[in-house]
Amino acid sequence: MNAKETTGRPRTLDPAGIGRLTPWLAPTIGAQDVTVVTAELLAGGAVQENWRIDVDVTGGPHQGAHAWVLRTDAAARLDMSLDRVAEFRCIEAAHAAGVTVAAPIAACADAGVLGAPFSIQALVTGNAQARRIVRDPNLSEYGEALAHALGGELARIHAIRPADGVLPFLPIPMYNPNRLLVAALRRGLDGASEARPALEYILSWLDAHAPEPRAIGLVHGDFRTGNYMVDGGRLTAILDWEFCHWGDPREDIGWFIARCWRFGNDAKVAGGIARFAALLDGYNAVAREPVTAGEVQYFEALAAAKWATISLLQGDRFVKGGERSLELALTGLMPPEMEVDALDVIDRIEKGRG
Amino acid sequence: MLARGKDAETLLALVAETLRAEIMPGLAADKRYTAAMMASALDVAARAIAVEEEAPTLALLDAFYDDGDGTLARLSSDIRAGKIADTTHKDLRERLKAHLDGGAAVRNPRYSVQRERKS
Repeated sequence: MNAKETTGRPRTLDPAGIGRLTPWLAPTIGAQDVTVVTAELLAGGAVQENWRIDVDVTGGPHQGAHAWVLRTDAAARLDMSLDRVAEFRCIEAAHAAGVTVAAPIAACADAGVLGAPFSIQALVTGNAQARRIVRDPNLSEYGEALAHALGGELARIHAIRPADGVLPFLPIPMYNPNRLLVAALRRGLDGASEARPALEYILSWLDAHAPEPRAIGLVHGDFRTGNYMVDGGRLTAILDWEFCHWGDPREDIGWFIARCWRFGNDAKVAGGIARFAALLDGYNAVAREPVTAGEVQYFEALAAAKWATISLLQGDRFVKGGERSLELALTGLMPPEMEVDALDVIDRIEKGRG
Repeated sequence: MLARGKDAETLLALVAETLRAEIMPGLAADKRYTAAMMASALDVAARAIAVEEEAPTLALLDAFYDDGDGTLARLSSDIRAGKIADTTHKDLRERLKAHLDGGAAVRNPRYSVQRERKS
């Protein structure tokens, strides 16, 4: 077996020990034997590590040669994110619901096997880099169709309901999930290094105007450009399911269209790739509960408030926590933009009310 | 010898420019992102030197409190408690936005320009 690294950063997984994978993997996937031919650390993955593994499987439903991706839990995980196995269960549920994801193969909660919990999915080709996608010279040819397809994917995710008995480990909100999210953001703000009256105002407004959800569905939690993969203008996989939760499905739509996730392509409201109508048409073609552009405005403001709070707390890891990271320091400077975004959206909503 | 203020701002901007023009093109792809962040941080630092930080905060606080009595923490607390709200101050959102404009422009001057064009 060949193992190689592409970066010099500290690793969770020891590539020399990946041979320990096969005694666990073979019975787990119903194979007689699995041989790992190569293992290569892929670039990216700020929160976890991604390894490409090429395997030969003997016997069982996966018989043959495959390229898979093994994702480990990193040593430092965000408090709000699901662990690797819980995330894998969400991907399985999405796959079963017809969502375009990399096929789930197996997940292991036992850190004794490889040194950290991990999951394995099929390798999917394509590009997920947001700035490359929004600046693709061919975007005008496929952006609208891509946004339409993404809308359909979102609707399929949101059609997964707690009443179906799936994902029992995800807590079901016993109260308006939009107000619960605002309360969580307030708790975050309370722990921040600086007072931010604008964010305080925004959260108060969001709390006072929170709509009741028409249904509680599975919310991806980070559905945005940068978290899906595109190959030749075609969607190949929805990625990064670690922030999945039960909530108001419109939260995902607001997050996707928030200005902060358009990566400078602000005129294309749907994630910097297309008109909002393209995303919404795709969504409503599949959704059980159609959504109007007007009702998403609240969630656009909520998205800006959420990212303002998260970026403030990320910055505090540098300011208060002593983590000497340039990326964290720069992220900590972002709240004013997001606060202005949220205030602009609130202005629009208030003016609409007359 | 460097004077404070303008010279320091110019120096930081020049370092960022040099980093982008002469260093970044020769870097491996995985180091280019880090170098771009470094250049961005230098730009932010240069702009922060040029911005008057206290005046917008004092202008915001003076709108709600007697001279010298206000702090951002007190204003935040009063907003959460509902003592200061749209109903008590019709121009609250506009005042909050005016206070944020400086901070937004330091990190991303293009953002402020785009907003001005839209409004």
